[in-house]
Amino acid sequence: MMVPIFTLKLNHKINPRMVTIGKFDGVHPCLTAATQAGKVFIHNPHVRGQKPAAHRLTQSTLDSDISLLNINQAVTCLAAGKLGPDTVGDTLFVGSQTNLLAYDVHDNADIFYREVTDGANAIVLGKLGNIRSPLAIIGGNCALQGFDHDGNDQFWTVTGDNVRSLVLCDFTGDGKNELLVGSEDFDIRVFKEDELVSEMTENETVTSLCHMHGSRFGYALANGTVGVYDRTARYWRIKSKNHAMSIHAFDLNGDGVVELITGWSNGKVDARSDRTGEVIFKDNFSSAVAGVVEGDYRLDGQKELICASTDGEVRGYLPASKDQKGSLMDSSSEQELIRELSQRKQNLLLELRNYEENAKGVSQTNSEVGVIPANTQLQTALSVKPATEVQRAHVELSISTPNETIIRAVLIFAEGIFEGESHVVHPSAQNLSGCVRVPIVPPKDIPVDLHIKAFVGGKCSTQFHVFEITRQLPRFSMYQILADPSAAPPGGRVSFSVNERPQRVVMWLNQNFLLPEGVETPNVTFASLRGRGLLSFNMASNGQITLRTDDIDLAGDVVQSLASFLAMEDLSAEADFPTYFEELRTTLTEVDEFHAVHQKLTADMAEHSNYIRSVLVQAEDARLMGDMTAMKKRHRQLYDLNRDLINEYKIRSNNHNALVACLKSVNQAIQRAGRLRVGKPKNHVISACRDAIKSNNVNALFRIMRGGTASS
Amino acid sequence: NSNHHCSIVPLQVGVTSQKSMRLLPALGKKATQKVEFVLLTHHSLLLLSVKRLSFQPVFKTLPGQKICRMDLGGALGTPREKIFVCSGSQVRGFTKKGKQFLTFEANLTESINAMYVSGADLFVCASYIYNHYCDCKDQDYFLSGDKINDITCVSSEKLPHLTPVLACQDRVLRVLQGSTLAYDIEVPGPPSVLELYNKDAGEEVLYGTTDGRLGLVQIGEHSAVAKWEIDNDNKKGGILCADAYDIVGDGVNDILVGRDDGTVQVYGFDSSNEPTLRFEHVLSESVTSIQGGCVGKESYDEVVTATYTGWVTGLTTESQKTEAAAGDEFRMSKETQSKVEALRAELEQLQGKVLQGREQYQQTTQSSTAVSAVPVFSINDKFTLCQDDASYSLTLEVQTAIDNLLLQSDVPIDLLDVDKNSAVVSFSECDPEQPNGNFLLATYRCQANTTRLELKVRSIEGQYGTLQAYITPRLQPKTCQVRQYQIKPLSLHQRTHSIDPARPMNRLSLVGQFSFAEIHSWVVFCLPEVPEKTPAEDDITFYFRNTFLGTQLEATYCKGEGHFQSDNISTISILSDVLSKEATKKKINLNISYDINDDSVSHTLRMIHPKLEYQLLLAKKVQLVDALRELQVHEGNASFLIPEYRSILDESASLLEEYKKQPAHLERLYGMITDLFIDKFKFKGQNVKTKVSSLLEILDNYDLNSLLEFFNDV
Repeated sequence: MMVPIFTLKLNHKINPRMVTIGKFDGVHPCLTAATQAGKVFIHNPHVRGQKPAAHRLTQSTLDSDISLLNINQAVTCLAAGKLGPDTVGDTLFVGSQTNLLAYDVHDNADIFYREVTDGANAIVLGKLGNIRSPLAIIGGNCALQGFDHDGNDQFWTVTGDNVRSLVLCDFTGDGKNELLVGSEDFDIRVFKEDELVSEMTENETVTSLCHMHGSRFGYALANGTVGVYDRTARYWRIKSKNHAMSIHAFDLNGDGVVELITGWSNGKVDARSDRTGEVIFKDNFSSAVAGVVEGDYRLDGQKELICASTDGEVRGYLPASKDQKGSLMDSSSEQELIRELSQRKQNLLLELRNYEENAKGVSQTNSEVGVIPANTQLQTALSVKPATEVQRAHVELSISTPNETIIRAVLIFAEGIFEGESHVVHPSAQNLSGCVRVPIVPPKDIPVDLHIKAFVGGKCSTQFHVFEITRQLPRFSMYQILADPSAAPPGGRVSFSVNERPQRVVMWLNQNFLLPEGVETPNVTFASLRGRGLLSFNMASNGQITLRTDDIDLAGDVVQSLASFLAMEDLSAEADFPTYFEELRTTLTEVDEFHAVHQKLTADMAEHSNYIRSVLVQAEDARLMGDMTAMKKRHRQLYDLNRDLINEYKIRSNNHNALVACLKSVNQAIQRAGRLRVGKPKNHVISACRDAIKSNNVNALFRIMRGGTASS
Repeated sequence: NSNHHCSIVPLQVGVTSQKSMRLLPALGKKATQKVEFVLLTHHSLLLLSVKRLSFQPVFKTLPGQKICRMDLGGALGTPREKIFVCSGSQVRGFTKKGKQFLTFEANLTESINAMYVSGADLFVCASYIYNHYCDCKDQDYFLSGDKINDITCVSSEKLPHLTPVLACQDRVLRVLQGSTLAYDIEVPGPPSVLELYNKDAGEEVLYGTTDGRLGLVQIGEHSAVAKWEIDNDNKKGGILCADAYDIVGDGVNDILVGRDDGTVQVYGFDSSNEPTLRFEHVLSESVTSIQGGCVGKESYDEVVTATYTGWVTGLTTESQKTEAAAGDEFRMSKETQSKVEALRAELEQLQGKVLQGREQYQQTTQSSTAVSAVPVFSINDKFTLCQDDASYSLTLEVQTAIDNLLLQSDVPIDLLDVDKNSAVVSFSECDPEQPNGNFLLATYRCQANTTRLELKVRSIEGQYGTLQAYITPRLQPKTCQVRQYQIKPLSLHQRTHSIDPARPMNRLSLVGQFSFAEIHSWVVFCLPEVPEKTPAEDDITFYFRNTFLGTQLEATYCKGEGHFQSDNISTISILSDVLSKEATKKKINLNISYDINDDSVSHTLRMIHPKLEYQLLLAKKVQLVDALRELQVHEGNASFLIPEYRSILDESASLLEEYKKQPAHLERLYGMITDLFIDKFKFKGQNVKTKVSSLLEILDNYDLNSLLEFFNDV
């Protein structure tokens, strides 16, 4: 059984996910983490001794081993590594909601300090694609930005939602790194430089990503799921009621393959096989795990796995030696095996007993057991139900039995469409019947597997048969086909050409919409059940498809779904969304206004601080002179100034939040314009839009969004 | 848990009940003796012998009617090696070769659930009834006031006869003399198990309770002496089984205890003769039987346990682990391997049979006349009120892994998280306005190999209904079973032995044309822990304590008349509402009168005061912790802070722990004070619901005097 090789108590709180190890002098690894009060601490137990031995890591000298860095802002991400070609040690990168600091710990000097208006929620260091210099890439509100060692902006693109996690790995196997981005819209996106090459949809915010080996990477979601992907295929995943705080790849059992190490919110750390997800090792901290990193902390040439808890407890684990292989858990694994086999035997015996007793037959009178006709089969149907006076619009799943049996309850397990992971319908005793109707309102346009469990039996049964059925809800299920499309078509539209027969498009329509009778022509109109107006679909004989809707997101979803169905790699389109574009124009004006206000407020604040300094000096003078009246007066002044400053701060912070919200919606607009196209035209639109924003050319921006290019 | 050591290959036999395993007395010299256990599963009697470091079945009776209990007996002066088992109201006797030598039909209307055998004397209990037979002839009979959970008999020179002791659900041990009650002994919780501290003789009886307490009493002819009591401070599970055995080898019997949360404990005695915990180990399911004995290696005594799903395991204690020789480890490993091979072969064979069964079952689904009826699987469940945090704990245990659990409630309750639960819980939207009337719909998706689930539920007094649990195990054909649990109107009340007569009390009296059985059923409906059976006497008194506030209730009633008194006016209000509703249902006219004592409200508020003050202070301190820590980091140390703040920092860990342990405690207190306020004026005929917001304002800036004033002024 494996035990920690060292344990430290650092007496400092550690912010979750903000832990790293850096060799700031090029030699000694230092555990570095963000702590309370906008500070970063650096633990350097190696400083004094020339060649400190591993056993020096003891508790007694701890506090003097820690130096604190004052950031004066809430830290949001942290990383250490080498970017410059001729630097000796690692550079420390500290991100906040407004800035990115590159700091030389060894020389105690800033390397660069850049303003980042989109914030820095996550950071990763390394080489990306063909970009020559290694970058510090930060992910913020819908934006990705990469800086080289001198702080030059070398990379920028937008993504669907706020970024929460980043990792670099060779996803495509071309020998160059791609950037994997996990965001709040539940997607993991893969960028080959600024080109989006893959998109995997998960069912919660993607909070962590880590590279395992090759094209394999681990991920964690905000709902307690962790798992491993190989390229776009998910290998395994597990879900816990606790939250994964930090994940890291490390070969703990010494078999030459890394395991996925997860630090959990309940203080558990576990190591899982990258192939199966089977737990090969676990340990427990008394508080939530803040970070999992690795480093040669004892300076003996061996890397340890290092886990730190939010209370500042740090434990290091050495990987198992060869002979210890596979036995990290406990010595009584043989007995575990006996238990497992016996349990399986019991299970089989019980199943066998079920069949035997069933074959014997039971008297019909024993209704508690829930006797049902053996040929009972459940029927399920999905249909679109528009809003009525008593019920909002929904998709109805109806489940019914063909005979006199009743459905006691229905459990539906599905991802991403319910508050939790399941939805239950449990009729009261008076309302029991053989048919249950479940209203479902999917919040997003995604295809969902509904895993249905229905409890079937008699009215007075205490035991029920459980029927398990899986049904798929198509992607665009919240749209009702209109028989009479006489209403005025929406003003927004996107049109593009496809080189396909109309039948293929009809097939796509039938697969992706809930159509009770199916359609035969691609010219159809739908009404959104979410109250977002009409969606009309028109295909001309020359293959020109025109899509009319005021919802630019929906237009993007439809284009992406259709293009992937028709296996189109590139698709350019013309688009116009007058209402949305008008809103965007207003937002852009607001951004300029907020910027102006921001500058004015900053100037005011500088003035105030100077004033405070002088009043403080005067107050201190008065105290030394023994002039208490003057001192009191000055302090009153200080008190007033302080109050003003706090008020100003509130204004400034409101202004800042409004600005961030506007910038986010601008980034989203670029992303949305991109999603109306596929492949190269899409990337072109995104980068052209970005240039237009940079040069503050609003008209060009709209030209690009409409036509796909800046010219014409 | 590393401080145990399995020295014998475990074996799984089938679902077992409480007290279902006994070590047969050893014969002959220690070195050559056979170690044999008798074990009861729900349907068979097994004899296991320990050979080559594993349990080997010697014989097994054919599965039949459900077997409840077992005891060992034999002619006086000979070893107790005859095996007596009871099923239904029948008692059978077996020799240890498996030969049946006795069948005795007791002709009771209910099933026997506890039994004691001594020589020719047979003592049996079936729910409320106790019967004594000698040579299968009726001797004595007794009807207990509440359910009998266990029985034992003490005999010594000081006692004239063999004296039966009954463990009864209403928190008393009843000591009998012939057909009459000699006296009763009040114990701190509902006793679930009794054992003699000295198996051969002596008056000392060991008891364990369903809420996890343990004690020893010395039985005399006219009274008993309580020797010691161990509280359940660590909130371990209820006690299912116990044994007295000298496991440490110091000449004094140690106490072995098995609990329903899987905990196995050994208590020894220190120099001052106080019981102290020597050893603890946690198994994954409830421990139904525990025995001390020498099973593994020749000279080591061990703890042998049986669990709910039928695992028989031997555990040595830490002190002996180091002495385990390497040779034994090797032998053990070899033994295990051969066992694994045998199991694999068995599995292969079974799999074939199961496939056949599945196919046949599938074929019946084509038939239009066949029916599908899957036999009922057994569930071990327990729904109990925990005194410490005034919440209910629900534990469910199934013999195979649980796939999922659906909880449904038609009454507002809060479901609390239990740390050791690994299942993923998910709350489903439920609109109580809908005709289905659901207030809680939650699913638990269990991780593989979960056979036991523990949940916590918090109820609100006055709101009553039913909580239902639908359990689906991972077993084909898939079925689920529903269990119902009543949330009673006075759900936070618990039975006690007496109340404090000095408190100011409010009274509620009922007079009407109702029978004793009718009013008893209403009381059963309102209050937990009241026996369902109508008492044999003409009138009855029960005492209760509110586990959350500590207020009390006395209920006295007989045919046509009922009197209830409590220092808590809300308790009286709830009772009056529910009782009149129940009477109306039966179309019985009730004449209700009240005697309201205004002092009782201030008294209750004063009782709440220390709790409220403590919670408010705790909340305030917890709120400061983060800010103080930040200051500490900023300044490098905390020496500049005033002592009060420094102590908050020093105690921060325990403060946070305490705060986490009692979620929503303050809200619950606020809710009860609000109820008190509304109820006080309800009895005066005033509706003060509009003034609740001012009350909440006062509570936000709490001060006892201003609160008392507010209650008086309105």
